[in-house]
Amino acid sequence: MNDEQSLFGRQLPLTAGPANSSAQPAIVSVGQRKQCQRCHQWLLPTDQLPNQAWYCRQCLQLGRLTSQDKLYTIAEPNRFAQVTGPILTWPGKLSPMQGTAATAILDLVRQQRDQLLWAVTGAGKTEIVYPALAWALAQNWRVAWVSPRVDVCLELAPRLQQAFGHVPQTLLHGNQTAPYRYCQLTLCTTHQLLRFHAAFDWIIVDEVDAFPLATSPLLQTAIATAQKPTGSHLYLTATPGEQLQRQVRQKRLAVTYLPLRYHGVLLPQIAVRLIWRWRESLAKGKLAPKLVRQLQGYRRRGQRFLLFVPHVVDLKPVAQALQQAGIVGGLTVHAADDDRAAKVQAMRDQTVSFLITTTILERGVTFPDIAVVVLGGDDPVFSTAALVQIAGRVGRHHDFPTGEVTVYCHSQSRRVRLAQGMIARLNRQGKRLGGQRQ
Amino acid sequence: MSQCLLCQQVLHPQMTLTQFWRWQPLPVPVVCPRCEQQFERITTMHCPQCGRQQTSMTVCHDCERWGDQQLRNHAVYTYNDAMKAYMQQYKFQGDYALRQVMMAPLTQALARQNYDVLVPIPVNQETWQTRGFNQVTGWLQNQPFQQALLVTADHKDQPQSAKTRQQRLLTQQPFSLAPNAAMVLAGKRILLLDDVYTTGRTLRHAATQIYLGGAKAVTSLTLAR
Repeated sequence: MNDEQSLFGRQLPLTAGPANSSAQPAIVSVGQRKQCQRCHQWLLPTDQLPNQAWYCRQCLQLGRLTSQDKLYTIAEPNRFAQVTGPILTWPGKLSPMQGTAATAILDLVRQQRDQLLWAVTGAGKTEIVYPALAWALAQNWRVAWVSPRVDVCLELAPRLQQAFGHVPQTLLHGNQTAPYRYCQLTLCTTHQLLRFHAAFDWIIVDEVDAFPLATSPLLQTAIATAQKPTGSHLYLTATPGEQLQRQVRQKRLAVTYLPLRYHGVLLPQIAVRLIWRWRESLAKGKLAPKLVRQLQGYRRRGQRFLLFVPHVVDLKPVAQALQQAGIVGGLTVHAADDDRAAKVQAMRDQTVSFLITTTILERGVTFPDIAVVVLGGDDPVFSTAALVQIAGRVGRHHDFPTGEVTVYCHSQSRRVRLAQGMIARLNRQGKRLGGQRQ
Repeated sequence: MSQCLLCQQVLHPQMTLTQFWRWQPLPVPVVCPRCEQQFERITTMHCPQCGRQQTSMTVCHDCERWGDQQLRNHAVYTYNDAMKAYMQQYKFQGDYALRQVMMAPLTQALARQNYDVLVPIPVNQETWQTRGFNQVTGWLQNQPFQQALLVTADHKDQPQSAKTRQQRLLTQQPFSLAPNAAMVLAGKRILLLDDVYTTGRTLRHAATQIYLGGAKAVTSLTLAR
């Protein structure tokens, strides 16, 4: 790969660029204020260095930009190698309902409209996008498939590799060691989009309501700037937030619904069980007998399960209490865990029988035949969207379309009620389409 | 709402009764208690020569190997993972705002030292250009200091932090005295200030030059050991 290609549709700080590149200062003054040209955030008046240069703290993780730096770019030429062979090499088939949604998306892509695919957890969102993606690639479009979660990207990479076997693809994320390659299909985290500028004709944002994208103006701007002025985007989610739903109501965002899973069985409803002051008893190293009995039952039947707890600090006491109750053979996983990927893989390989985890595993992971238990579902970390996502871990596999979701709370909470309401609403819509009860 | 500089969590400062009765401006925290706990303070049980945290108060093995009495160093924190991560972001990524994290502890530590003139270890011209700041003077709030040392150019083919202990010990004298140094240093007790004490090579080189400038005594303070 030459230097030129690495600049196509990108913005990089270099000491000197190729002849046909254009450069602009990394930090520009707009009136009294300074703006970073990579992340388009405003600098604070305190972000000045003793040598008088200004620097941006917002995108520091991608390498510091100061007012002495220049960003080099070459406008995206869409110069890709011809794809030899068929573009879509996916052997699977879409269900009739998935097919309808896929056609609707393809139509909207042709019109270059911004759109949202609102499909329940386990509907097969990824596969629904394949026909539209194949069409876009055939148009010689440059496409990015992005997600705020690196786990989602990592899980998606082999699937896209298999589905689009002849299309060169590249995977970018913060811990990636392989050098950048210029490819027609880019799979990356939303942070990596900050390095691009007017590059993509179509951006697919997977899990658009996930942390940190939903609350980060930085990442929302990143999607807007990485997209060509003529480009469009597709948001994928099972639980769109209030902001997205408003955009849909205002017709600024076209929407495609899919309220039924691909295997046609309705979503599992959340069962709430109350345990009085569980946090106090956990502090004494005890768990409620109800919960222990349920988990012991799962272990006896060989039913594998996920146990969600509100905070990282709760993992250890819960694990110890379970061990005391004779429930062994599981692992704890949290966001800063070094072995996170290995532990999740162990769960997939069925070498461990349960995981105790935080909201980090609320989405983007699929285990066949699993039950889900949430301890402390009334804690504020479990938002309505999070609870719906967590419930959506259950019954995703074709052969195991059912399962139990139990939420243990100290008291009834609005968020849990709303999550139940959302699931019930989707199930009502799903039933109209012919969904079957569990 | 202010955020922790290190983990971006929202800070909830709580006023203590003592602070209330003192009726003085409240200290504004810049890091959350959890991040602050990660840094490990060095207690009185340390090596009297290099300031290393240990279980006894005798001279440590590394200092015995030096076999000189040239330097007395104190350090504020141990060089643990949290401190390494901090240095990485502050020094090498160049996040100048992180200087605020260490301002208060360093001011306290300086107040406990006896000295006449404070001399921070300088950075070379190239580092100043790329990094944009001297990591040591960044921590100083209003303390007066004298830039009595200069870095003689191009001794650094690679940064000190990228070398092994053996390579570090072989480093040539990198410092020279500033033109006005003799005036500033003559007959004074000097405190050298640096970021990390690793082998002690840098500080010993600096101390040699300071003594040449006519100082009466040289001690040193580092943020980490």
